[in-house]
Amino acid sequence: MLFLRYYFWIAPHLFLGVLVAGFLRRGLQRQLPIFFAYTVFTLIQFLTLFTVSLFATSSLNSYRWVLVCGMGVDSFFQFAVIYELTSELLLSRSSLAAPLRTVLRWVAAVLLLAVAVASGALSQISVERVMNVLQAVDFSSSVIRCALLIVLFLFTRALQISWRSHTAGIALGFGILASIELTGTGLRGAFGSSGYIAVDLLRMSGFHVCVVIWLVYLFLPDRTPAFTGRGLPEADLALWDQELRRMVQR
Amino acid sequence: MIFPAVIIVAGLIALVLILRLGNGHGRSGGNLDELAARLRPIDVDAFRNLIDEREAEYLRARLSPKEFRSIHRERMLAAVEYVRCASQNAAILTRLGEAARQNPDPAVGGAAEKLVNNALRLRLYAFQAVPRMYVSMLFPATCLAPHFIAETYDTMTRQVVTLGCLQHPAQGMSGAL
Repeated sequence: MLFLRYYFWIAPHLFLGVLVAGFLRRGLQRQLPIFFAYTVFTLIQFLTLFTVSLFATSSLNSYRWVLVCGMGVDSFFQFAVIYELTSELLLSRSSLAAPLRTVLRWVAAVLLLAVAVASGALSQISVERVMNVLQAVDFSSSVIRCALLIVLFLFTRALQISWRSHTAGIALGFGILASIELTGTGLRGAFGSSGYIAVDLLRMSGFHVCVVIWLVYLFLPDRTPAFTGRGLPEADLALWDQELRRMVQR
Repeated sequence: MIFPAVIIVAGLIALVLILRLGNGHGRSGGNLDELAARLRPIDVDAFRNLIDEREAEYLRARLSPKEFRSIHRERMLAAVEYVRCASQNAAILTRLGEAARQNPDPAVGGAAEKLVNNALRLRLYAFQAVPRMYVSMLFPATCLAPHFIAETYDTMTRQVVTLGCLQHPAQGMSGAL
């Protein structure tokens, strides 16, 4: 079990290091600067926590403080990355920016309200089950991230917007991570302190899956949509042209 | 215990949804001829007539309230069908436009980009228009006619022809523009 815990703690961060190198080699940090900053931050956070756990074994408080501050910044970064993905896919299209911004603003406002109420309910179950405020924040952030990503996927599917490979991979990875973290919050609430290790393993494995997905999408050849055929036949074009002539004459 | 169970179920549902939705994004592309064959012609004038407020006023003045409600419902149902058809065409044109965007000629690429943007705008309008027309069916007094659909469809038609002229110059349709 101890090996598994160390594996899930260290391995995803090693893969993340490979991802950062891949990003730098392809110059993708210019295209997705916030995501790049997030990955660098996650690596720094891991190195700090690892060092603290090795050299300050007597001071559990220092470890907790680094973890608490790191989780706060991590949540902020994850929201910023979702905004970056939305901007890359939808907001950069001027015709969609205004209506989509309104939809996302409403979704975020409703979710914020819902999770505020839900967090309250969660903390009332028992003080032992919910360690501290941070878990409530973690729960809220997972719900909002899940919902925003689902809205983003639905929107792009409804409008038939195609994704570039690595953008799709980042969104998919974040979506899986957020949903696993949400499930983990529920499991922690259900099993209490006896299930902490199992839940932590679940969350770490979620992050592992997420990083592997990012790597696969980064290193697989870009799947540009493959089209065959000539498109609009000339006879059809003539019909569209007739329609246009009628409009011009009107 | 119930609340954590709800969170667990919600998390699992979200996971399945994200996997399904995320997986579908790799399936763009396809046969352009098949796509083009799925385009359905639309009589924009007939659609304009269906959503014309003056026409509705004329009918309201000449028919009994019961008859008017029934006729209005029929007209709105027909208009919804037109909007759905226009939205379907816009989805197909988005993909045809995306294929044309890969053309090395910058003029074709630019025209395709405009077509894609306009087709996306039309689909967005269609999402807003359909519920509004259903509301209008229930409450005929409310004026919720989606004129912008017809206008956007007109613009999209112009862009299809422009793109077609650029891709098939032999057709010689530029005179119409």
